[in-house]
Formats: sequence, structure tokens, C-alpha cells
Amino acid sequence: MRPSRMLALGASLLVLAGACTTGGGSTPTPSEAATATPTQAATASPTTPPPTIKIGSVGFYEAKIVAEIYGQQLEANGYTVDRAGIGLGTRDVLLPALESGQIDLQPEYIGSGLAHYEPGKQTGDPKANQTELQNVLNGKGGGITVLDYSPGFDQNAFVVRKDTADSLSLTKMSDTTAVQDQLKWGLATDCKTNPVCAAALKTAYGLQPKSVTYLSACDTPMAQALLAKTVDVAELCSTQPDIVKNGWVVLQDDKQTQPADNLSPLVRNDYLAKLGDKAAFEKLLNDVSAKLTTDGLTQMGAAFTFDKKDIKDIAHQWLVDNGFVKAS
Amino acid sequence: MSLIEATIAWFTNPANWEGPDGIPARMVEQIAISGLSLLIAALIALPIGLYVGHTRRGATLAVNLANIGRALPSLAVIGIVLPITAAIDPELGFKLYPLVIAMVVLAVPPILVNTYTGISGVEPELVEAARGLGLREGQILRRVEIPLGLPVILAGLRTGAVQIVATATLGAIFGLGGLGRFLVDGVAQQDVGQTMGGVILVAGLALAVDGLFALLQRVTTSPGIRAQGPVGGATPAAASAPGVVSPGNAA
Repeated sequence: MRPSRMLALGASLLVLAGACTTGGGSTPTPSEAATATPTQAATASPTTPPPTIKIGSVGFYEAKIVAEIYGQQLEANGYTVDRAGIGLGTRDVLLPALESGQIDLQPEYIGSGLAHYEPGKQTGDPKANQTELQNVLNGKGGGITVLDYSPGFDQNAFVVRKDTADSLSLTKMSDTTAVQDQLKWGLATDCKTNPVCAAALKTAYGLQPKSVTYLSACDTPMAQALLAKTVDVAELCSTQPDIVKNGWVVLQDDKQTQPADNLSPLVRNDYLAKLGDKAAFEKLLNDVSAKLTTDGLTQMGAAFTFDKKDIKDIAHQWLVDNGFVKAS
Repeated sequence: MSLIEATIAWFTNPANWEGPDGIPARMVEQIAISGLSLLIAALIALPIGLYVGHTRRGATLAVNLANIGRALPSLAVIGIVLPITAAIDPELGFKLYPLVIAMVVLAVPPILVNTYTGISGVEPELVEAARGLGLREGQILRRVEIPLGLPVILAGLRTGAVQIVATATLGAIFGLGGLGRFLVDGVAQQDVGQTMGGVILVAGLALAVDGLFALLQRVTTSPGIRAQGPVGGATPAAASAPGVVSPGNAA
């Protein structure tokens, strides 16, 4: 741990130094400087670094990785990052911390984040979830901005083994309706009462499975049950690394029953107000979010779960692979 | 108050008393799972305990080996066993076998240790007298040692049974039925009535099993030793062997 931390510290110092020198190159030309107002000139000056940003996340490894990606992306562009809030706790701890200003930024699953404030309002449409969440957060902690959401998402997914998918030609959830009684279903322990589980499966797909094993969704026993053929359809999380590892098939939720849990950075407005170039800051994060795919999230999860890699290294590798930072 | 109201509402809802996931069906499942586990544990632990108690051969090994079982958390046993048994049988190997194995590991120690203690604790003078009367070893075990050691042996079975009834609820985490379903599903569904209902049913069943064994101990205890101390004929040294459950305070 120690050497890698030292390395990371060294790397970030180097990056900072690099940012300062390259910053010199983008010093406003005389004509721009002449037209700029004094305050703009002051904040845009490379000698006044942007205020330290306090990043937080829930304890879930995926959220920690994404928080780390945002953090390293900002560091690579001259920001100072305080990571004390990464992995802070559950949403019940983290969102109040964001509202009170103990942290400035956190990655959020917009469907679940919305459900935290307005249970039942989350939908299968990420855009609607983002808009609704933004409406809620306008009135929280002096205003919190929901930046662009990632194309990648982590949501409940119904997964089958490759052999099942092939023999019954299953690619989407509607395909299972006709063959539902030939399949053994592994559903969440809260399925009967969860509006997006049993009720949604019945109304959207006409599914009323007879053979059901109730297991905790997205948990190890559920994956084990699919592997052991105890169940044929398992309710997992779409980025769960077991899916890639075993070559399983995620059935497309073609009637959009599951809430869209794409990832967005939530940023406090008072932090944004302190920045000289708010648009540049937002672009840094939006560029990263735009490249966060479900596949990418899954692979990073596998690097964490199976390869036991360090979260900082996983985040760094992703930023390198996607051309945001240079390999170190 | 809302907790009590929710619990009462859950118990008084007729829907919860019907069908394959109703209270009676789950209770039957719990008793069947527990009964099977106790039977297997007894079939393993009683013969070994009787043999070791009578011959005193391998006592240290048997007792210490059995006590390892106490140190193994049931959930860990399930986790270790499940991938192996699930590969053999996808259905029962996933849901039932790992739990039963974990319950056997849980219940063998008290049954074995108490059986050994009950038998070996019988006063040597009595055994010698029986031998002097011309009884063969098997007869000594059946007519002298088992009747005198029975309260201690039953105390071991009683502890094992109560532990199994309460712990077999773990099976619900792996999709098995039984009363554990109310606990696991109740927590997942944030249904306090169902969760508390499950807690009450499990606790009630455990108390009932405990009471049943207490009754059994009373009925089967030889009249000659009924009025005496905690263990009929058992020496104090034997009664304080590691892991022994005395008949009075089982579980």
C-alpha cells in the first residue's frame, strides 16, 4: 500500500506541476487580458488554483471507483481533491453530507437517488430521472447540480446462462413470456412487494413464474444459483462481474420496467460559483461520464472483485484507456 | 406501538395462514428440516459418544474433534459446502444439503460430548458391580450406563435440537423454505410485521422443542436417580468436562 500511495502522490504532484506549466501556455493573449474584467483575470490566472473539491461516494465499490475517476480527472487538470468522503457510507449518510457541504461532489445513481427523495418517482427513462432529481436538488443545500449522466448504468437485470439463451433463443425479456414455465426463476427476496419486480413483470411481460427461488438480488448466492443451474433466470445487477466472467446473457428489458440507474456527478452550486470557469469544470466531468459504459463499469468491477486491484489503479487505468490522462 | 400493531395485523391476516408460503406450511418445513438434521446428527454422535464413553478410548480426540464444530459458524459451513453440493444436485444441493450439513456440524458437538460424559460419568463401582454380576459389556451399556446417563444424553440432544430449530432459518438466505423465509423476506420487504411474526414463530418453536425434551427427560429418567443431584451418578470431574450441558440448563 505504502509504495503505491507514494507513487500516486508523486504522480499527482507531477500532474499538478505539469498543469501549472501548461497553464502558462494558455495565459490570455494581451488583447484578451485587456478586455477581461479584473475578477475574471484573477480567477483565470494560473497562480490561483481552483478551490479544493471534497469528493464523496457510497461504500459500494463501483461508486468508489467512479468517484475516484472524477477525482483523478480533476487532479489531472489542476484541481486539488480531498478524498475523505469516498466510501463514506450509505445514501442516508452521504446525501445529507452533500446537502450540508461536508462534501462538494458525489457520483449518484440517478434512479435510486431520485427514489431516495421521492420513492416511486423513478422510471426507466434516465432523462426523466435526471430532470426529476434536478428538480428535487434545486431546493437542497443551497442548490445542487446534476451533471450529465453516463450511458452506462447499473440496474437490476434478468440474466440467463448462454446455453439457456441459445436453446430457447432468448435475447429480451419478452422472449421469456412464452417459455416462462420451462424456466426456474431466481427473484429478489422483496420481489412480491417491490413495484418494479413482480408487479412490473406481470403487467409488462405477462410473467407469473411458477418455479421461483427467492434470493437476495445482485448477491453472491444469486450468482451461485445461476452457475449451479438451481435457477435459469437470475435477478442480478447489470454490472455484476460474474456476468462477464461466466459469459452470461443479460436479457434486454425491452418494456423498460427497471428504473434507469445511470451515473451522474452531483455538485454543490456554491462550489461551482467559486470557479472561474464553471463550464470548463463541467466539461471535464461530462466528458468522463460520456465514456462510462455499462461494459466499462463491469470490467472495472471485475478488476476489483476478481483481480483484487486497487481502486485508484483501476480508475487511473480507465482514464488512460479512454485517453483522459497519460499512462504513468 | 406500530411494531406490535403490525405484528398483530400480520398474524391475524388470513392470507398468511394459507398456501405453500403460509404459516402452517412454513412451520411444517421448519420442523421437517430441523428433524432431519437432528436425526442425522444423532445417528453420528450417539454411537461415537456411547463407544467412547464406555471404553474411554479416544475420548480426548473425539471430544476435541467434535468441539471444533462449535467454532465453525454455520454460515461459513454453508458457504464452503454449497459450491460442492450444488455441482452434484442443482436443486437440493443448493438449498437443502448445505444447510443440513451445517446443522449436523452444529448439533454433533453437544450430543457427542454429553453422551460421552453421561456414560463415562457413571460411578465405576456400579459398572464393576454389574460386571461382577456377570453382565456382558453390551448389557452393562444398555442396562446400567445408558439409564443412568440418559438425563445428560438427553440434555445434549435438547441443546442440539434447540440450536438447529433456531439456526436452520439461515436456509432462507439460500432459497430454502421454513420459518427463515419470514425473516429474510420480511427484512427485504421492510415488513416489520412479517419479520416480527417470523421471530415469534421461531422463538416459539424453539421453546416448544425445549419443553418437549424437558418432558422427555423427566419421563425417561430412572426413578432411582430422579430425586438426586444434577447428574445421576456422574462424577463432578466428568460433569465439568469442556462443552458439557447439564440436564437442568440445556440451551
